[in-house]
Amino acid sequence: MKLEEITGVKKVVTGNHAVSYGVLLSRAQVIAAYPITPQTQVVELLSEFCATGLLNAKFVKVESEHSAMSACIGAAIAGARTFTATSAHGLALMHEMLHWAVGARLPVVLANINRAMGPGWSVWTDQNDSLSQRDVGLIQFYCESNQEVLDTTIQAFKIAEKVLLPVMFVLDAFVLSHTSEPVDIPSIELCDSFLPPYKPRHYLDVERAQAFGGLTSPDYYYEIRIKIEMAHREALRVAKEVDLEFKKIFGRGYGLIEPYHCDDAKVIIVTSGTITGTAREVIDEERKKGRKVGLLKIRLFRPTPRDEIKEVLLRAEKVAVIDRNISFGHSGIFAQEIKSVLYNEYRRIPIFNFIMGLGGRDVRGEDIKEVIDYVFKTDYPTEDVIFKGVRL
Amino acid sequence: MARNFKEMKESDYPLCAISLDTTLLNKTGTWRIFRPVYENKLPPCQDACPANEEIQKYIYLALQGRYEEGYRTILEKNPFPAITGRVCFHPCEDACNRREFDEPIGIHNIERFLGDYGLNKVERKEKPKKPRSEKKVTVIGSGPAGLACAYYLAKEGIQVEILEREDLPGGLLRTGIPAYRLPREILDKEIKKLERMGVRFITNITFGRDIMLDALRRRSSAVFLAIGAQKERSLDIPNEESKGVLEGISLLRRVNLGKRSHLGKKVLVIGGGNTAVDCARVAKRLGREVVILYRRTKQEMPASPEEIEEAEKEGIKIEFLVAPVKVLLNRKGEVKGLECIRMKLGAPDASGRRRPIPIRGSNFAIAADTVIKAIGELVELEMIPKELEKTGWGIKTNDWGETNQKNILAGGDCVTGPKTVAHAIAAGRKVAERILFDLGLKEQLPIKDEREPVNFAQLNTFYFDKAPRVKMRQLARKERRSFQEVNLGYSEEEFLTEAARCFSCGVCNRCDNCYVFCPDLSVKRLADGYEFNYDYCKGCGVCAVECPRNAITMYPEGGL
Repeated sequence: MKLEEITGVKKVVTGNHAVSYGVLLSRAQVIAAYPITPQTQVVELLSEFCATGLLNAKFVKVESEHSAMSACIGAAIAGARTFTATSAHGLALMHEMLHWAVGARLPVVLANINRAMGPGWSVWTDQNDSLSQRDVGLIQFYCESNQEVLDTTIQAFKIAEKVLLPVMFVLDAFVLSHTSEPVDIPSIELCDSFLPPYKPRHYLDVERAQAFGGLTSPDYYYEIRIKIEMAHREALRVAKEVDLEFKKIFGRGYGLIEPYHCDDAKVIIVTSGTITGTAREVIDEERKKGRKVGLLKIRLFRPTPRDEIKEVLLRAEKVAVIDRNISFGHSGIFAQEIKSVLYNEYRRIPIFNFIMGLGGRDVRGEDIKEVIDYVFKTDYPTEDVIFKGVRL
Repeated sequence: MARNFKEMKESDYPLCAISLDTTLLNKTGTWRIFRPVYENKLPPCQDACPANEEIQKYIYLALQGRYEEGYRTILEKNPFPAITGRVCFHPCEDACNRREFDEPIGIHNIERFLGDYGLNKVERKEKPKKPRSEKKVTVIGSGPAGLACAYYLAKEGIQVEILEREDLPGGLLRTGIPAYRLPREILDKEIKKLERMGVRFITNITFGRDIMLDALRRRSSAVFLAIGAQKERSLDIPNEESKGVLEGISLLRRVNLGKRSHLGKKVLVIGGGNTAVDCARVAKRLGREVVILYRRTKQEMPASPEEIEEAEKEGIKIEFLVAPVKVLLNRKGEVKGLECIRMKLGAPDASGRRRPIPIRGSNFAIAADTVIKAIGELVELEMIPKELEKTGWGIKTNDWGETNQKNILAGGDCVTGPKTVAHAIAAGRKVAERILFDLGLKEQLPIKDEREPVNFAQLNTFYFDKAPRVKMRQLARKERRSFQEVNLGYSEEEFLTEAARCFSCGVCNRCDNCYVFCPDLSVKRLADGYEFNYDYCKGCGVCAVECPRNAITMYPEGGL
């Protein structure tokens, strides 16, 4: 089988396999991963690609996710295009090395399948695993469909390599990871034209020995950290450009955020991940009934597309943020983010926060409709957080 | 770039913490409080080998396909691996650390393979040599001690003459060990090896009768007495002198030299040592009905457990806790049986084994046509010239085989009493080393290895997989009517499989673990081994822990 024969086709694939195809099309050179439900199939298919020679990559089997990320770091320092995938506890175990990848400015791409943290033991989706890595410095994308998963994989390498930061993109356990959808698998020629081989700006060269990540005194550390922050700001511009370029070549684009019927909306629902898909249908129905309700999907979580978010939300009268996560002792994490983005604005908008679907509990259309009904009939939130559907 | 950070512009800052040059100036070796040292230790097999063979080394060489070098490594300590590979009772395998992991390495089988390889592939290429030296040494007795001594002397160019009273050389290797354990063809090839080296064999000459010590002394720089212990101990029971009572050692000699055995139909063998078992297996092969009588239990039997097992497999019965009282004769004065008494075990005696005590009134008779006594061999003291000082059992010598007479040395069974072939070979080599030193052909005497052997607990067995010992193919039971060899040897594949089981205790075999694990890249590969770079080695000790074979030692740095 040749790469040319299995690309440039439409295929029904799971979200996990969409990741694998994305990595194949991106011609990753080193893959180091440890299997964990619900991520396993991502690396399973990749290992087959490597074994059959479809993908000319070194597949490194490791004994833990900490080592997986360590191996990716080593490979990336040597100048290889590098990929790993994990989930929940695996991502948590990687935590230390995620800091390392960011600090050493290595464009490792990481797929995380959102899975709730145990105990109680769970394999079902929620976002606490990836959002726990909020302050590490990863670029973070949240995907809605299998097509978006594949496209984001390819975009992720390009963005990472342009700004020299690791990129993590996220898909919901089972709802995407194990659900099949028709996916357009673009041709390898097209992908090659979009994503040229990685040319590292600095890398480990045995002919020119250098140490990476050495002791950095207070005289330099701050400046180097601010360079990471500058790279994040740069990433906002780069991510937008890359998405536009992608759209030009492949005919599909997603933006950093996606407003849906927001122009005249009185109430805007803010979602991420697969809840967005459900919410879209509810919005369509409500619009048919003449209700002025819109939807804002947050695709890029870090860096935060502040200006884009403000531009959309400042037009609304009320905003409701649905969080499939919880920052214990505070509120939903997306709600915090939206509030902080809007706080310094002159116009104050009531922001409702609904926490829903933790540990993979279904978030149904009628649940979202209830959220919309509640927000329409309530002038101002009486509680900071509403635990929608909790049986307590 | 700006000289200091206060003058630095944004563009001066690197993207991340990267050194501009190598960090080699940071000699992290100064942090070290423990120093790893490559230090090969003494493997327990070598320690246990009477001949001190470098077993680990020849297995290591063999695994690399360097069979000839492996063979030559054995020759350094033992000139006859094809013999010892067959007949040695391998104390090395008892000491093998692998015994505590699964099963010991089949060391003697490996030795046999290399020995046969040497005889068939290496020795064939050797051209006959003439002695280079004017010096001449006479060896009396062509058993393993005499042959080994001759080998190491001839190797240095000495003229060696071996005197042998039988028709053919080999001593006890030929007269004592049956052909099913040591085929004559192998023995002959080993002797031919010596002949090619210039050693002269003079047979049919009896020391003390045909030729005297004084005469030998005059024509030789040194004389080596290796006459063995070939006299059977007597039973001290009535009618022992009867014709139907044979001495084990002389029965073996007769059979092994192809003479008539004089065995009756029903044979009793008295004794529990290797001679007794050899006699029984020989008689069985000659179609006789055989029972061994031993006065203690199987646990105390001095014969090799493998020999006992083979004897039992071949249908030989062993009666334990039985001692002979009297040989029973018929009217014609022929043996008709043996009166015996039952024994029980009492307190341990000087040998550490429990002493057998007769049970009063338990006497009984066993019918037999022949009784073979095989309760141990003695040195023929009458053969020893009277000017030589003796011990209670043989010739008195010092550690180097020197007797009270100048240039007269002795070794092997005639000094120690009956021991093994490997012990005799070691004794022969030691005497040769002494003679070479005395003749000025060797600058120093070898130093005894006083190191403690490596034990099992000192190994890191994480790196070893369980693997069963490769069993040697054997002649089927029903075919054991002839004197055809019983143990059939390893194929090359079996040999390599078994060799690969070796832990290489205490000796680096270049497994690369230290090289792979060193977090400071301070292990350098050399052509034959490794070297630490102490400029950067922090002394973390990972190499020593991960070395599977304890070939790295951590020493405290000075002042600790």
